[in-house]
Amino acid sequence: MTARTTYMDEGVRSAMRALSAAAKKGFGDPALAELVQIRASQLNHCAFCLDMHLAIAREHGVPQKQLDLLAAWEEAGDVFDERERAALALAEAVTVLTEGFVPDEVYENAAKHFDEVRLAHLIAVVTVINGWNRLMVSRRIPAGSTEW
Amino acid sequence: MTTETDTGAGTGTTTAEYAPEPTPRLDWAELAPDVFKAMIRLDAAAGQGLDPRLRELVKIRASQLNHCALCLDMHSKDALAAGESVERIVQLSAWEESRHFYTGKELAALELTEAVTVLTDGFVPDEVYEKAAEHFGETELAQLIAAITVINAWNRFGVTCRRTPGHYQPGQHK
Repeated sequence: MTARTTYMDEGVRSAMRALSAAAKKGFGDPALAELVQIRASQLNHCAFCLDMHLAIAREHGVPQKQLDLLAAWEEAGDVFDERERAALALAEAVTVLTEGFVPDEVYENAAKHFDEVRLAHLIAVVTVINGWNRLMVSRRIPAGSTEW
Repeated sequence: MTTETDTGAGTGTTTAEYAPEPTPRLDWAELAPDVFKAMIRLDAAAGQGLDPRLRELVKIRASQLNHCALCLDMHSKDALAAGESVERIVQLSAWEESRHFYTGKELAALELTEAVTVLTDGFVPDEVYEKAAEHFGETELAQLIAAITVINAWNRFGVTCRRTPGHYQPGQHK
């Protein structure tokens, strides 16, 4: 499979990178950030992002069991703790905006597990991966591609 | 307390009360200033080289699909201030049935906007991408995709943090 185009404006690319770095730094939990990014990439069907973030998640020591069961995290029992579940539920709600809003119970549960600063950055992490998903799926960048 | 009369939204002949304005959930820009600054930078970069009128149409349509009240408030007002017609804004949510209000290039952009915004239902179909590529050159198409991506990001912050619509003044953030 070849990309539709690998072109992206350099200003956009560097601003996306800065945005991504700011979101992750402020969130401060790299392993959970990866879980959230992988889940959003599953929902948005981004092969390139899945390939990249699954590799990064392994580097951060995310257990293989969590990666295996991520697509069914709600049914995965204690494979995910309450904090992870709150983050994943929020990630799903923020990713699938076209079907509704972000429900109060989902938002409030996330707010129980993350203080306001972390929560703002968690929302940013989900938003940014949604951005990368759009940039990669639209241009059909193949999984594992080094040119994007 | 809000009434039709004091918001100026109605004719002023009734005093029926509107529902109270919701409270925002989170002031994310204040809590994550580096993220906000990066978003502003990204927004500026993604707009380079795109026709401002087309860009507003794309932003309004994505905000409709993502149900972002704040973004609808902002971009409808910005579009109107930039000389866009009320009719073209009103018809936007049914553009497939009101194609004669838009140019072929705008229609290709709107179709791409929908595909890139609703990724959860599938991918970006070849025919949608190819039609956009017929109307937009490589760099302009890249900027269009970037602009769609960025409004999707603003929509996510706006909806998740429940930022309240109704207070935007055209050009406020320009």
